[in-house]
Amino acid sequence: MREHKPWNVKLLLLNIPLLSIILVPLLYTFAISVMPADEIYQSRLLPSAISWANYIQAFTNPYYNFLRMILNSFIVSVSVMLGQMITCSLAAFAFAFLEFKGKRVLFLLVLATMMVPGEVTIVANYLTISGWGMLDSYSALIIPYLTSAMGIFLLRQYYLTFAKELHEAAMLDGCSDLRFLLSIVIPLSKPALGALGAYEFLMTWNQYLWPLLVTNSKQFRTVQIGISMLYDVDAESLGLMMAGVVIVVVPSLSIFVFLNKQLINGLMAGAVKG
Amino acid sequence: MRKWYLLAMVAVLSASMVFGAGSSETVTQAAAPSGPVELTFWHAMGGVNGEAMNQLVDKFNQDYQGKIHVTAQYQGSYDDEFSKIQASGGNYPCDIIQVYDIGTRYMIDSGWITPVQTFINKTKYDVSQIEPNIAAYYTVDGTLYSMPFNSSTPILYYNKTALQEAGITDVPKNFDDIIAMSAKLKQTNADGTVKRYGFGMGNYGWFFEQWIGKMGKQYANNNNGRGAKPATAVAFDSNGAGLQIVQTWEKLLSSGVMPYLNQGNNDAKAAFISGDIAMTLESTAALKSLLTNIGDKFELGVAYFPSINKDDIGGVSVGGGSLWMMDTKDQARMDATWEFLKYMVNPENQAFWNSKTGYFPVTVAAQSTQTFKDNVAKYPQFQVALDQLHASKPQYAGALLSVFSQARQINQEYIARLANKELNAQQTLDGMVKEINKAIENYNLVNY
Repeated sequence: MREHKPWNVKLLLLNIPLLSIILVPLLYTFAISVMPADEIYQSRLLPSAISWANYIQAFTNPYYNFLRMILNSFIVSVSVMLGQMITCSLAAFAFAFLEFKGKRVLFLLVLATMMVPGEVTIVANYLTISGWGMLDSYSALIIPYLTSAMGIFLLRQYYLTFAKELHEAAMLDGCSDLRFLLSIVIPLSKPALGALGAYEFLMTWNQYLWPLLVTNSKQFRTVQIGISMLYDVDAESLGLMMAGVVIVVVPSLSIFVFLNKQLINGLMAGAVKG
Repeated sequence: MRKWYLLAMVAVLSASMVFGAGSSETVTQAAAPSGPVELTFWHAMGGVNGEAMNQLVDKFNQDYQGKIHVTAQYQGSYDDEFSKIQASGGNYPCDIIQVYDIGTRYMIDSGWITPVQTFINKTKYDVSQIEPNIAAYYTVDGTLYSMPFNSSTPILYYNKTALQEAGITDVPKNFDDIIAMSAKLKQTNADGTVKRYGFGMGNYGWFFEQWIGKMGKQYANNNNGRGAKPATAVAFDSNGAGLQIVQTWEKLLSSGVMPYLNQGNNDAKAAFISGDIAMTLESTAALKSLLTNIGDKFELGVAYFPSINKDDIGGVSVGGGSLWMMDTKDQARMDATWEFLKYMVNPENQAFWNSKTGYFPVTVAAQSTQTFKDNVAKYPQFQVALDQLHASKPQYAGALLSVFSQARQINQEYIARLANKELNAQQTLDGMVKEINKAIENYNLVNY
């Protein structure tokens, strides 16, 4: 490892300016959120004094109730993430390892749903959910997103890189399909699963239109709606809004950092075993 | 579009019946006759406006404790909320909904609402309590369709300090004045770049509509879309108003009087606050947030919305939103809704609403309350906004169009192409007229 050290230093030197460029919008967002209101439009990067009033308001004003919204977003995002990891790995397993009639057509059908933009089906989905009496509940936020063509496709492509003989050998030894999936395929596909999980978590966390459509009460509102509650065209308060953005970004960033570690571990495990 | 939703809805509903799944309708019918009448109120007010709205609703619930209970639900921006009601209106998901000005024609045609006029007649409510120039916007064929609630007009904001330094004592009344003053207000750096423009404004479709009203002309045919039949085409091409406005845009940009400040109002507002432009156009409702953001950097002045020509005789019309009563077919709930609507516009509450948000008090009597007097004493600029509203007339109430948000978007895109020097004034006008007419035609074809 020692001979890599000069490289590490160079990489670090190269990355620090890059990192600061990427982080500037985020840091500026934070700066605005603690800035006195009349300094926001003075094109200054740093506030003259730090005030936490915006954060206090976002958390203590019962009209906004950010804690509840963060909790809701967590419940929904984690459920969707886990749900997709389960359903997508099962479907992908069937498409990659099993032979059955109509497999190709079925797979093409699944892929075809990827070509339909979500906005096209949103009204139809809304009507379905409301017809089932599921409006304003966690189920309305979670159930429609429990699987995705993207996830199935991603995992299937990954599973296809496995040798077919692996499956056949397991079958010969009397291993069931489910056990093969659980004890051989999934441990080997941690990087792909991790990537899918992180992606779906962030996608769900950042959803705006669907949660807005299917929820009405504060009990089930999610964070992105919370941010828009801080805004009004005629009465904008940039500081408060940016405080909302920071509050919402922190949990999703931290979960991403956490999953990122899993992702790298998974990658290394795969590399050694594979 | 709505027919599709209906069709899809019927399909879904029948499917859910077949499968025996509980429908949401059973929930809404469960209101017990003994308890208070439960009402749902959808609104689109965020930030401090949303807080003020909630305070009003809380106060109502206290005053009507045991009789009526209103749950206020924020439904996103005006556009988001409007999409939501377009998708779900047939299910009557709420009793009261706040809809923006440009959604008025759609709501009238939707068949989901009861005009408040029905209740005005029934209860002999004195409608003259409401500012006539505001009520006029929501009145079609002598019927007041919705209860005006949050109303504003555009107005000219100027940097008083800069105007004084430039030795200007008048305020601009029209664009000739603005061009003349801008020459004095413009400052350039040593390297020739502009340090401060005299004037700047966002490319905002609302202003375009207002200038037509200021000329006393009409935006659309069929009496500005207010006749028994909806508008079938725009009128600003044939009556000459459109070309004059587009030419003014061209003149302002090409002579360097103002920079192009993009679509919407955010950039113009930011430029004005930071002192890069000395005059700008904005909604009256923005007064407070401007004052907060400006702080003590300079003194803020306001003047009437400028007209395109010196001799224009029309007036401004209101923007903002109004409260609609959904036709839930449940008499008890609709009676309760009417109580709520009356409560929201009573003088005291309107004075409170005005002081918290900067929207006009829609009831005349609100102006004699102490709350209002204190507020005007604190923000004297607001008196100018109110005078401007009173100087207008009901006949300049502005157009109604089912596809107004789309029309505004088209209008802004063509002005942007004019600013980009892709098109000249005539081409800009022709292009936008053609596209807006097409949008109107498509909508009418499907819906009437």
